Amino acid sequence: MKELFVLAEHRQGELRDVTFEMLTKGMELSQKTNADLTAVLLGHNVQEFAKKLANHAKKVLIIDDARLENFNAEAYQRVLFHLISERKPSLTLVGHTAFGVDLAPSLATELNLPLATDCIDLKFEGEKLVVIRQVYGGKVNVKASLRKSDSYILTLRPATFEAQETKPQGGKIVKIASPLSEDITYKRFIEYFQPPAGEVDIATADIIVAIGRGIKDTENMLVVEKLAEALGGVLACSRPIVDKGWLPNDRQVGTSGKIVKPKLYIAIGISGQFQHISGMKNSDLIIAINKDSKAPIFRTADYGVVEDLFKVVPSLTDKILEEKH
Amino acid sequence: MEELGAIKKLNFNVCMQCGKCTGSCPVFPKSKLNPRRLMLETAYLISPLTMHPPLNIYEKSEIWDCTTCSTCSYRCPREVEPMDVIIGLRGLLLEQGRVPSTLGDALEGVYKYGNPWGISRSKRSDWAQDLKVKYVSEGEKAELLYFVGCAAAYDSRAQEVARALVKNLNTLGIDFSILGNKETCCGNEVYSLGEKGLFEILVEKNLSLLDQYGINRILTTSPHCFNAFKNKYGKDLAVQHYTQYFADLIDKGKLKFPQRVEKVVTYQDPCFLGKHNDIYDEPRKIIESIPGIKLVELNLSRGRSVCCEGGGGRMWYDIPGERGRLAETRVKEAIDVGADILAVACPFCLLTFDDAVKTTGNEDKIQVMDIMELVAEALLSSNEQVI
Amino acid sequence: MNVIVCVKHVPETAEAEIAIHESRKRIKTEDLVFDINEWDDYAVEEAVLLKEKLGGSVTAITVGSEDADSTLRKCLARGADKAVRLTDKAFEGSDSYAIAKILYKIIKDLPFDLILTGAQAGDDGCAQVGVVLAELLGIPHVTMVKKVESVEGHVKVNRELEGGLEEIVEAKLPVLLAVQTGINEPRYISIMGIRKAMKKEMKVLGLKDVGLTEEEVGESGSWITVEKMFIPPVEKEAEILTGGVDEIATKIVETLRAKGLI
Ligand SMILES: Cc1cc2nc3c(=O)[nH]c(=O)nc-3n(C[C@H](O)[C@H](O)[C@H](O)COP(=O)(O)OP(=O)(O)OC[C@H]3O[C@@H](n4cnc5c(N)ncnc54)[C@H](O)[C@@H]3O)c2cc1C
Ligand code: SF4
Ligand code: SF4
Repeated sequence: MKELFVLAEHRQGELRDVTFEMLTKGMELSQKTNADLTAVLLGHNVQEFAKKLANHAKKVLIIDDARLENFNAEAYQRVLFHLISERKPSLTLVGHTAFGVDLAPSLATELNLPLATDCIDLKFEGEKLVVIRQVYGGKVNVKASLRKSDSYILTLRPATFEAQETKPQGGKIVKIASPLSEDITYKRFIEYFQPPAGEVDIATADIIVAIGRGIKDTENMLVVEKLAEALGGVLACSRPIVDKGWLPNDRQVGTSGKIVKPKLYIAIGISGQFQHISGMKNSDLIIAINKDSKAPIFRTADYGVVEDLFKVVPSLTDKILEEKH
Repeated sequence: MEELGAIKKLNFNVCMQCGKCTGSCPVFPKSKLNPRRLMLETAYLISPLTMHPPLNIYEKSEIWDCTTCSTCSYRCPREVEPMDVIIGLRGLLLEQGRVPSTLGDALEGVYKYGNPWGISRSKRSDWAQDLKVKYVSEGEKAELLYFVGCAAAYDSRAQEVARALVKNLNTLGIDFSILGNKETCCGNEVYSLGEKGLFEILVEKNLSLLDQYGINRILTTSPHCFNAFKNKYGKDLAVQHYTQYFADLIDKGKLKFPQRVEKVVTYQDPCFLGKHNDIYDEPRKIIESIPGIKLVELNLSRGRSVCCEGGGGRMWYDIPGERGRLAETRVKEAIDVGADILAVACPFCLLTFDDAVKTTGNEDKIQVMDIMELVAEALLSSNEQVI
Repeated sequence: MNVIVCVKHVPETAEAEIAIHESRKRIKTEDLVFDINEWDDYAVEEAVLLKEKLGGSVTAITVGSEDADSTLRKCLARGADKAVRLTDKAFEGSDSYAIAKILYKIIKDLPFDLILTGAQAGDDGCAQVGVVLAELLGIPHVTMVKKVESVEGHVKVNRELEGGLEEIVEAKLPVLLAVQTGINEPRYISIMGIRKAMKKEMKVLGLKDVGLTEEEVGESGSWITVEKMFIPPVEKEAEILTGGVDEIATKIVETLRAKGLI
């Protein structure tokens, strides 16, 4: 039977959520297309992961090699090239993560297999594989088809497909000998680096007031700071604010920043691109203030205000202070 | 350094280092900005001699602290025009990309969207949507062009001034038009920031617009636009700031106020009307013609007036670590002279003072109003509601 | 250090109204402002910083129509020495893979130690061109680069991972780095600078010059083909609070109070 590969992603001793999201989606697809859902696990001493994955897949292929302990796209590519050429899965799913974007395009090129990245949906229309992607910062969706092939590679956007608990699949764990012969010397993983933490931990805050590029100027941050203060919350931000050096990087919310889940998240002048959304969408209550009624943030927020932030925020601050007195 | 060529033409070499400029510079007390010293350094920059310790002009970020208020140039006994030298130095830094990022963003905004806030062109005339105005861009001719300017077009508070001005013109039955979304930045701040190339582009664009629509007379909301058109476009344009235009109407007996405004009003001379263009009397004439108003002067007024810190690009740049804004001091002064209203005639003054009233917690003591808003109040027919 | 930077000319859409073109295959761009892709701007700045430190040259390359010249000129003004624009009717409809092939054909014959690209483009968000290009050239690559240090024949780079974590990776030259925003502070480019840069060399090459056939580029040479574009369906929509500013503020305060947040 054809296989459908899901490439397991793990880091620092943990399987990453995107793996289970892909396995859930993969299960649905494999049933429709009559394929065996196969989790592919590369690493070193990862038996425990294999057991977990076996609950979610028909098969777990495990390639154990000390050189695969930490992610290195070059080593991963060699192993996967081997595996995919040999087993010709109908589809290989990879997370659209720092790991996936480093790996999938070169792998697809070497294999000469069509690839689509950052997909938010996919389905087979006959032989044809069709995907949905987002473009222009989430303002437009594209339906695209991949060049016909007997094997495809996709990277899936994290936190888009829901990981569901299924009854344990009791997948078979199959060990495969590592095809890596020599060491890879031209590119080496050295170490992880955790930038030092600042004095405020936004991840534990109950109330977050977050600002984005709409704030336009450092000077204007005062306006929002006052709101945060009035609410007893902390100030966080989207990435451009950190890029400009207006707030330290531990205040950044999103995929490359912090994942937060406060009771209240007020997004001000933030357009709501997925890298930001994935960091805050599980907040209990989300209020967005943006003057563009089409901003994607309104698709995540519970309440929206389509207005100039400079009008709304000061007035809101006043009202809150009044309320508190 | 081609840019030095432009500076060389300036008059810095007659500077006698008397320090009058620095003494009068409103920014000097809170910044490293020292026009006298900069004149000396510029002289060194151009001469073959080197300074000790060696001078690196590119490290002098205080050059961006200047508000181009022109006080130094106004006071200098030798007609050195230190402000122009500073603008020249800005050009030098700018060519190296050594410009604070928020100012860079403002300049890019002007280049790409025709306004320093980088807001879409399609929103430029949103403020006028429900008002009666003619759009030259749509073939509606009028003899007078009202040039709105970026602040009044995009900033929500300043938009109220544009709206008041339009209502006043309509009340008086004056035929005028606007450029609508075709309007683009006048470039006054771009010039002040030393971005010569961009300024040239704007001049070219605006002149060709004026030409294309056969415009003969221009009226501006902002003293900054007025200054650019009058002094920097290299052409004899018939341009008036609205204070001149309305003072003229009063002189001709065409403007009478049906309402009384029982308020004590003081007035801030905007740098670009006063020191830059010697317009001191017209605004006062308008204020004093409104029945009921008592005009009191600030301690420092007319040529001695203190800058609001909104000019020279300072709307988009704060002096790092600065404390105590000039606008705050100014607001307190206005309260001290017993004014209920601090009247302004420039959108930047409006915005900086409005903010200062809030930061000093004086919302219940004083109100900032543009002269056009005062006029609108005094022009209201009795069946309309007073603000 | 000879550096090649690949750049893209893209529309700015964060604050713009976007409409889909009648063909349903693209958006209407008439009213949009175009500029260099944000990530690429950081890449060019990084290239110039490296050149300023280590010497060498910087070449900017783009695949695009004549409009893209303004982006190349900006690169030249930023400090690139040469620019190349690859353009051909046949290139239309190319996806990231086809674009990477076009770039490959020209870059393989140029001398370089380092290739920089943006981590992704703000329009299609594919994040592929750099990595495919590196594979075609047979050189290593590192994506999501937040910091570059050059040591004797190597680069030591920080890669941005999820959750604020970084990893440090070492790679031998020549290498391709796809840079993330925030790696530096792109300097302001003055209009004078752009004018002066007009004097620098700018080459325009087509299909024949790069030595590809029509089948290898455009839709036929691509991995993916756009079938249609559409405005995302509304799955969940925020309840939009309306009224005057004060009214809105009052409504928010009421909601917060109801939820016990104030
Ligand atoms: C690998 C990778 C990782 C990333 N990680 C992150 C991450 O962790 N976190 C993150 O945030 N981003 C991340 N990004 C960047 C992300 O793609 C977006 O570029 C970013 O989130 C956009 O930030 P923004 O919404 O503040 O800015 P923009 O998209 O520019 O939006 C600004 C918004 O402000 C609004 N606005 C402007 N003026 C006003 C006003 N006066 N009043 C009201 N509204 C106004 C506009 O309408 C617009 O919607 C990442 C990108 C990549 C490639
Ligand atoms: S006031 Fe004039 S002469 Fe005196 S120091 Fe300043 S520039 Fe020189
Ligand atoms: S123009 Fe004004 S702020 Fe600038 S140096 Fe002269 S006095 Fe100071």
